[in-house]
Amino acid sequence: MDARIGIRNTKSILFKSFIIFLAFVVTLPLIIVLLYIIKQGVMQVNWHFLTHVPAPEGEKGGGIANALVGSLLIVGMSSLVAIPVGILAGIYLSENPGTKLAYYSGLCVDILQGVPSIVMGIVVYFWIVKPFGFSAISGSIALAIMMLPIVIRSTEQTLLLLPPSLKEAALSLGVPYHRVILKVIVPCGFAGILSGIILSIARIIGETAPLLFTALGSNYLSTNVTGAMESLPHLIFTYATSPYDDQHDLAWGASFILLMFVLILNIVTKLITRKWKIQL
Amino acid sequence: MENTVVSATNFNAWFGDNHVVKDVTINIEKNQCVAVMGPSGCGKTTFLRCINRMHELIPGATAKGSMKLYSDEIYTMNPIYVRYKIGMVFQRPNPFPNLSIYDNVIAGYKLNGLKVPKADLDNIVQKSLTSAALWNEVKDSLHKKGTFLSGGQQQRLCIARAIAMEPEVILFDEPTSALDPISTSSVEQLFHELKEKYTLIIVTHNMQQAARVSDKTAFFYVGELVEFDDTKQMFTAPSDVRTQNYITGRFS
Amino acid sequence: MTPLETEITALKKELVSMWMLVQSQMNKAKEALVSFDKDLAREVLIKEKRVNSFELKIDRDCENIFALYCPVAVDLRFLLAALKINTNLERIGDIAAGIALYVVEAKENFDPKKLESTQLLRMYDESVNILIDTRMAFEKEDTALARSIFKRDDVLDEINEKAPVVIADLIRSDMDNVAEALYILSIIRKLERVGDQSKNIAEEIIFYVEAKILKHQESGKRMLEGEE
Repeated sequence: MDARIGIRNTKSILFKSFIIFLAFVVTLPLIIVLLYIIKQGVMQVNWHFLTHVPAPEGEKGGGIANALVGSLLIVGMSSLVAIPVGILAGIYLSENPGTKLAYYSGLCVDILQGVPSIVMGIVVYFWIVKPFGFSAISGSIALAIMMLPIVIRSTEQTLLLLPPSLKEAALSLGVPYHRVILKVIVPCGFAGILSGIILSIARIIGETAPLLFTALGSNYLSTNVTGAMESLPHLIFTYATSPYDDQHDLAWGASFILLMFVLILNIVTKLITRKWKIQL
Repeated sequence: MENTVVSATNFNAWFGDNHVVKDVTINIEKNQCVAVMGPSGCGKTTFLRCINRMHELIPGATAKGSMKLYSDEIYTMNPIYVRYKIGMVFQRPNPFPNLSIYDNVIAGYKLNGLKVPKADLDNIVQKSLTSAALWNEVKDSLHKKGTFLSGGQQQRLCIARAIAMEPEVILFDEPTSALDPISTSSVEQLFHELKEKYTLIIVTHNMQQAARVSDKTAFFYVGELVEFDDTKQMFTAPSDVRTQNYITGRFS
Repeated sequence: MTPLETEITALKKELVSMWMLVQSQMNKAKEALVSFDKDLAREVLIKEKRVNSFELKIDRDCENIFALYCPVAVDLRFLLAALKINTNLERIGDIAAGIALYVVEAKENFDPKKLESTQLLRMYDESVNILIDTRMAFEKEDTALARSIFKRDDVLDEINEKAPVVIADLIRSDMDNVAEALYILSIIRKLERVGDQSKNIAEEIIFYVEAKILKHQESGKRMLEGEE
């Protein structure tokens, strides 16, 4: 009897070790990639790198200031459009589940989420860039469309998790519907909605394909949103494929910055959900 | 009859095609504690939610017949006004998780954007929490979140929130079914004090609770009001055989 | 106080009021007997109705408390005891009325000497005292006092046992007043019943306070338990 229990114990220990080993193997690529980018990129980053535009080809030095400013502007503009629309749509979907409109718009959101970013780029290219020329705005529009489904779904999911009793509590106090939404439902789901927003920003900030067709890229520091504008992923794309080693270094530095950005956004999300989590 | 606060006459309610409240006629008098009991799905909760017009918020829900608060027809009044006058406490304690205890009590004013001077608000908070027998327990932590309280305290907070609006009637939808026995008895104790000032209508699954706390008891069965009488009468000598079967647990 | 406690306190008060009434009935019946006051005797008969309505009211209250509060433990024992004490008290009320009825029916007044020699008056006082002490035991939940009742009842039993012989002597010595002698015997028999009812009540008090059942036990054993 004891011997059999011993065998069983050994088996379960073996199985456990195997699972731990697999979990480790899965995280290995991530760790390698991260370490490599940090190794290649961290050397490039200094104040000069952050505040100067790229040097002309073949010259040493130069920075990514144009891409930083460009990325912030483009992402900022797309957030401005996508966040309010996304939240409102999310509220609608969570408040009216089961209606026809909610069903079809939910379906559209899912399809939109599945559309490859390059396709999004080409659509915007033909609609906006063709008639009006390359511009940061057209890039923002493409990114905003990519952001929308994430914001909508995360808002909807967050609000669906709120117990219906919360809404009833407010209604039973004679609070009108719009105030129930604005003063009770949204504040209670705030942490979830905010983390959805941050995640969606983290997702689109590294998006390259739609920007190829739209914001195009530029070697100069520009804040003119109707003209072409550089962005981080686009800069990485162009410089990584160039033949000059100096430009490769620039691309590594930019990758590092982008990576840090996404990492920080993710950590902030985790902190927000933990700190502001509302105990129901 | 002059004392009647809430009266329903030939009142009916539906969920879609499902006729859940059938031709109910009942008069509820002032400062009484009325228990509404009956097996699950007998329409008692629906009837309760018809009184402050929460029923109609559910898609497909309809109601017909006369329901009066004093002499005013509830179904021609503004539902928001109805809910000021008829407060409600739910099955599970549902304080607003984003608000402090203080703000939870005055939620009715705050969420409606009613402007009330701070001193008055302090007063309302203290009075309501005292009436809900919660003041002594929370007076030092008024600005903590309401959800930090225990289940029974949360439920009393919800009662304080309803009291703060100075309603005429307070509806309770199985107010203790999610509470432990100690919290349950503290809430039950409260009913005896509350009926001095308000009219209470309590839906309950728990017959003993109906017996302990109420002056009058209504027994609902498959949407009908079978019997409505003094609780003492109901529990010693009910006049309808269905009531007798239900309270003795001989229901088939 | 919980609602159940409130109800039980009220019920207890009600029982004590009934007790007082029964006590005063007993006292009045005695006075009527001694002073041969037929009006007073009639008053006792009329007030008997009040004792009866007390009984009905307390029965009804107990019924409501059982139905509404589902009492357990000490509350349950109190209510069960209250029901039985209620019945016992009503019987004592009946006894008082019975004695008063004899006074009303009797043709001639009772000879004070005879009342003395048959120890009827002593017995009467003792039975009323027992009734009072039982009430005190009930009010104070004093089980030691309740246990003392068992012993004091023995005095009544003794007088009662000797009664046939005493009454027989009485009849032989005064053949003109046989009816009077028989009334006296009946009253002694009734007073003995008062002692028994009080004993039952004392048992109920001990049952309710200590959850001990003393019914149908030897009196010696009862006393022993009391000394524990």
